[in-house]
Order: sequence, then structure tokens, then C-alpha cells
Amino acid sequence: MQYLLRTNWWKWACVGLLTYVVIGGLLFSTPRLPILNETIRVLHFHVPMWFGMLFLFLGSVIHAIKYLSSGREESDNISQSLATIGVFFGILGMLTGMFWATFTWGEPWSSDPKQNASAIGLLIYFAYFILRGSIQDEQQRAKISAVYNIFAFAAIIPLLFILPRLTDSLHPGNGGNPGFNSYDLDSRLRAIFYPAVIGWTLLGFWIASIRIKLNNINRKLDD
Amino acid sequence: MRKQVIALILKDLKVDWRSKYPVAGLFLYIIVLVIIGYMSFANFIKPEVWNALFWIILLFTSVNAIAKSFVQEDDRSMYYFFTAKPGAIILAKLIYHFVYQLALLITAYMAFSLFLGPATGDRFWFTTNLLAGSLGLSSAFTMISALASKTNNQSIMMAILGFPVIIPVLILSISNSKMIILGGGWPDISTNFIALLSVNMIIIALTFILFPFTWKS
Repeated sequence: MQYLLRTNWWKWACVGLLTYVVIGGLLFSTPRLPILNETIRVLHFHVPMWFGMLFLFLGSVIHAIKYLSSGREESDNISQSLATIGVFFGILGMLTGMFWATFTWGEPWSSDPKQNASAIGLLIYFAYFILRGSIQDEQQRAKISAVYNIFAFAAIIPLLFILPRLTDSLHPGNGGNPGFNSYDLDSRLRAIFYPAVIGWTLLGFWIASIRIKLNNINRKLDD
Repeated sequence: MRKQVIALILKDLKVDWRSKYPVAGLFLYIIVLVIIGYMSFANFIKPEVWNALFWIILLFTSVNAIAKSFVQEDDRSMYYFFTAKPGAIILAKLIYHFVYQLALLITAYMAFSLFLGPATGDRFWFTTNLLAGSLGLSSAFTMISALASKTNNQSIMMAILGFPVIIPVLILSISNSKMIILGGGWPDISTNFIALLSVNMIIIALTFILFPFTWKS
């Protein structure tokens, strides 16, 4: 994260990739599939949100561990900002998914295990912010929330990746459904999907880096 | 280390024995919950509903039983801080809470089977799954209680931090238990049961690693 805060080239990469993704994702030709039809384009906007969320949470956990080992306030700031943007991405992923599901699965909430799991995952991280808000002492807050952050990440991994696979799910790769690699993600989609994942993730880190700098400035002003 | 753990467990036991009201209150809480369940579901309870209700009652008793644990340590904690290792403290807490949870579990099961009928299906696997689930519940709530005791409003924090985190354990154990009650055996629950055990392992390992950080603050 320190590297990302110092350099700028990845922001240009992000702009370039996202321009390509928005144009390509909306205009390039897609495979014709029953029910899905044109809604298959949601792949470039819904799925990368979850990837972005996971990368942001991963960054957040890494900085939480760093905070516990070093005790530097900076790491806590980074960890908190990454988690905030991660939750924001999660909410966007949820909304885009629900919007898409209305047209394909027939209703916004069809009690799909992965959908339920991600709702719980978001609840876990909402609790993280409540926890931060309810501790007055700054060092105490940083320490306790870092511990909870690690705990939360450990809970979210089985929720999103193990439990849905044990039951039937409408999402690909779960409950005996084949994953992305084995069907319907043909090369035309892949050419946009992978750049989309990288682009949206970079955008997440970009927003987070602005937040980190803003927090730093506010802290300096307080001092 | 072992001496410290035993001493700390005995200390918790004594503390609870001296002020009997909180413990007695918990047992009463279970009975009241079971009677409410009985009143609401009396005539149309199916095995699946029985199962879900039973686990929800366990969840609520467990969260209430463990919530007070670290809160009551507040005034004493300076004293421990110098004498006991954090590893010993958390190990003692984990063991004590598991035993405590078992006592509550037995009470809950007895009251439950009195009012709503006993569990059907394979006894052995039902009990094993119950024990594994209780281990998950007690250890996760022990960690959460250590965190919640540092905040301003402990009782609410305990619920909002604990419930989402406990859901993997709860989903796995409820679905196993449903399988067994409906007549399934080991082949039906094996994958879920192993997943449940591994989630428990993760929780306990994390509790050990992370507890010293919350304790020293």
C-alpha cells in the first residue's frame, strides 16, 4: 500500500482498463444464451465488485496484522480505509447482483446460499465499524478493531468459499455447477472480464488511497 | 502453565459459585425460552422446526452466558496482568466456558425434550454434533466477549459482533443436526461435520493468537 500511495502509474492503468471495460463490456459481441441474453454483460460489473471487495479486505487484514506487530498508527488508518471501501464495493456488488437477479432468477432475493453468505459477510464488516465507533481511546480502538478484523476475515472465507459449495447454489462453481472456466465464459467475455477485475480493484485501491490521505491530513490538523 | 490454567478455572468456578444469582438466572432463562417456544409451536412442531428452535435457544443462552465473562474481570484484570500468562488465561476461559456451555446444554435439552419431545434419529451422532457445535459457540463467543468487554455497551456489541461471526458454525451444525433428526447417518453428514471441525479449529487457533493483543491493551 505504501508503494501505491507513492506512485501514480497504476491510476493511469486503472483509467485505461476501465475505459476499455465500459466500452467493451457494453458494446462488444457476447455469446447468445437463453434467459441470460444481454444481461450476461453484468459479468464485467457485478463479479469484479466481489473480487475487488476481497482484495480490499485482504489488504485490510494484512495491515491489521502489521498494526498488531508494529503498533504504527499509519497501518491502522490504511486497514480501516481499505475495509470501508471494501464494504462499499460489497454493497455495490450486492445491488448489481440483485438488479440482475430480478431479470434472470425472477426475484431480487432468491435465498441463494452465496447471496445469503455475502449478506452475512457484509454484516460482519458493518459490525467492525460499530466496534470502531464504540471505543473512545484511539490506541485501544486500533488494537481491538485489528483483532476483530482478522477474526472477521477468517469468518468470511468459509462463508463465501466453503459453505456455498456444500449446498446447491445458483452461482457458478457451487453445488456441482461448473465454474467459470469450464463453460460459457468464452474467450470474448474473458478478454473483458480479466481487465475488468484488475480495473475495478485498482479503482477500489485508488478511492482507498484518497481516504487514507484525507485521514492523514485530518489527523495532522487535529494535532 | 498447567498450574495457572487449573488455578484460573477454579477461580472462575468459585466466582460463579459465590454469586449464584447470575448462574441461576441463566438456567431460568433457558426454561423461560423453552416454555415460550413450547407455547408458540406447541401443536405444529415438526422435526425440522424442533431442530431450528433448539439451536436458536442454545445460541441465545450461550451468548448470554459468555457475555459476562470478561466484563466481570475488569477490576481484577490489573492483578492478572502481572501474574498470569495470556495463553493460560484464554485456555482457562475456553475450557471453563465449554464446561459451562455443556451444563447449559444438558439443562436446555432436558427442558426441551420434556416440553417438545426428545430428538429422533441417531443418538450418538446427534450428541457428537451437538458437542462440536457447542465447542464452536463457546470458543467464538469467548473471543468476542474479550473484544466486547473493551467497548462502551457490552451487551449489544456482544450480539452484533458475535452473531455474524458464529453463523458458519451455526449453519453447519444446524444442517447436520437436521440431517440426523430426519434419519441420516455418518455418510450424510461427513463433509459438513469435517467442515464444522475445521471451522472450530480455525476459531480456537485465532483465539489463541489474537487474545494476547486484546489483553495487553
